[in-house]
Amino acid sequence: MTDIDSWLRTNTFHHSQFWDLKRLVEEKEKQGLLLSLCIPTLNEEKTIGKELVLFKSELMDRYPLLDEIAVIDSGSTDRTLEVAAAFGADVYRSADILADLGSRRGKGENLWKAIYQLKGDIIVYVDADIKNIHPRFAYGLIAPLIYRPEIEYVKAFYDRPLATSKGTRPLGGGRVTEILVRPLFSLFFPELSALVQPLSGEYAVRRGLLERLPFPIGYGVETSHLIDTYSELGLEAIAQTDLDSRVHRNQPTRDLGRMAFGILRAFFSRLRMHGNVPDLPELTPMLRQFQTRDDQYEQVLFEIREEERPPMIDVPAYREKRGLMD
Amino acid sequence: MPAPSALPSNPNKIVIVQEQPDLKEFVARLPAALQGYRELILANLVMIGEIPAPTFQEQARIDFLQQRFTESGLQNVCSDEVGNGAAVLPGSEGSRHILVSAHADTPFPATIEHTLSLYPERVIGPGIADNSLGLSIIASLPMLLDFLDIRLRSNLILMGASRSLGRGDLAGLRFFLNNSSVPITAGLSVEGVQLGRLNYASLASLDAEITCRTADVQGASRSGAVLILNQVIHRLCELVGPDDLVLGSVEGGTAFKTPARNAVLRIELRQDSNDKLSALVRSIDAIVEDISTRTGAQLRFEIIARSSAGGLDPLHPLVENARSIITDLGVEPCQDCHSTAASCFNDQGIPGLVIGITEGHQLNQPDEEISIEPVFRGIAQLIGMLMAIDGGCCDGY
Repeated sequence: MTDIDSWLRTNTFHHSQFWDLKRLVEEKEKQGLLLSLCIPTLNEEKTIGKELVLFKSELMDRYPLLDEIAVIDSGSTDRTLEVAAAFGADVYRSADILADLGSRRGKGENLWKAIYQLKGDIIVYVDADIKNIHPRFAYGLIAPLIYRPEIEYVKAFYDRPLATSKGTRPLGGGRVTEILVRPLFSLFFPELSALVQPLSGEYAVRRGLLERLPFPIGYGVETSHLIDTYSELGLEAIAQTDLDSRVHRNQPTRDLGRMAFGILRAFFSRLRMHGNVPDLPELTPMLRQFQTRDDQYEQVLFEIREEERPPMIDVPAYREKRGLMD
Repeated sequence: MPAPSALPSNPNKIVIVQEQPDLKEFVARLPAALQGYRELILANLVMIGEIPAPTFQEQARIDFLQQRFTESGLQNVCSDEVGNGAAVLPGSEGSRHILVSAHADTPFPATIEHTLSLYPERVIGPGIADNSLGLSIIASLPMLLDFLDIRLRSNLILMGASRSLGRGDLAGLRFFLNNSSVPITAGLSVEGVQLGRLNYASLASLDAEITCRTADVQGASRSGAVLILNQVIHRLCELVGPDDLVLGSVEGGTAFKTPARNAVLRIELRQDSNDKLSALVRSIDAIVEDISTRTGAQLRFEIIARSSAGGLDPLHPLVENARSIITDLGVEPCQDCHSTAASCFNDQGIPGLVIGITEGHQLNQPDEEISIEPVFRGIAQLIGMLMAIDGGCCDGY
């Protein structure tokens, strides 16, 4: 087992360590890397324009770090696609990519299809709902992969206290992280509990790893990635970068309940897959939540299936596109 | 797009754009050329606009501006003791020094959310028009001039000015002009809105607060501070005409049932001469003293900011050139020629203008909004004016 304290010292970064973008671009060019930014969207007209302008101006025009910026959309009904195209992104409908394999609903579907569609040796995923978007959301995650060849997967976390003292203060993720994911990691994968915000939607990954990962298409994609990467490569292949603060929409508790249910299903499937708990019973896909209507109590049933896409490397069309030999 | 190689010399030291077909045509092509740099302009706007900068707390914005200056290869990137951030884009000859400034502060406290929303045709957020856009143009100008292959003969001094609004009283710009180590040939002050404004003069004006305290004062506390300020307002309205008095805001009190113990009235006064304004101040002092004596309340009249009357002649070549450039870009110059910022230049005998970059709405509201498309004409007019000054239109004035 890796020494977590040592890992925190060597594999936890702050974006300010990578302020020298000129040097970062030089190093990227020296290694001959192609970098892709993928922004998965679903009705994000209010924030997508700003994200695209900042990334394109700062990380393509001013410092040519990114080689492509792509929006992969799940079927927005607002002006997301129009706004994205107006600000110069490569815009794709998720359903149009690998159309023969059908279309699933879920952010993980977009992330998975990006592996096929985009050309980068490194793909950085950034959510589209970040109000305080800044170029650091991309370069802070890409930089550890450029400077440290042994790192394969870099996850974002956000920690900017308004006031600090010399004493200690807790680091934390969101509600689902602290009451579900971190306790689960502590029980079954203690080293992964060192990731401050394992559910954050911003991360950068080398293609060589990404194409080998199976993709749950719903809430469980981030948790599964971490478990699969850790199981294959160990904690040394994972890093995390503090991006200061992230302003985004807060979700109601009921929505978080559905998220937690999806994560649990994906988590248990990983326990079974990696042999941690081989004899799990078949798990129901039905989540029960409750409400009152007039004077009556009633249950609300949600079916949450964590469908999973196979590793992209196993998709023939991908192998053909990338020129991989069978 | 190549710039006109050399502006025609003018034996009368008055260069009018209409007499420079090269420049006139060049400026006409600028808006289309600038469209190609939309992302650069908008990215600077977003990054600057999301840094809170209430007056006296502009440091973070100035730091960002100076970082941009450094990245653009400007010289003498510096800040001064009042918090201005400035740098020099050297000209090929350097015989003239043109100042382009924009105030860095906004009227919004740091505690409100400063995230902006960007759409293909507009940008929304607090301070976007006043004056995040103006400052972002200062940040973008060196790269835009470079991309457009425009090389000025004059040194261009770019500055983000601190302490402009309210109690700031234009202290940043005044300090720089008072203490500049080089003679400034002309100055342009860039505001986000409105495109078409052409301010070359200022009225004698002041911003003031009249505060009323009734706490622990028998009698006065029963009528309350708001009612007492109401008497002040009535007397002010009898004294000053509606064109010369702005009743900006009234604040006071804490509850429904209790008469306000404290209240403050914020006003702006304008007169066409400094002497008239001074006389008005004496009259208001007397009104405040009188009401204070009669009510027993503590009243105080405090001048927050003050500008003197003066400015350029409407036929000054800088004004004429600017009016012509604006008109040629299809924009109607605004009739109101007055701005307090113009007084900073006038006080130093420097030809100076205040111009606006685009159209805006909901000014000084959290949902302040600007239009993107006119920005390109706004920048084109700025570049056109720089080239006119560079061509010598202010020489000898």
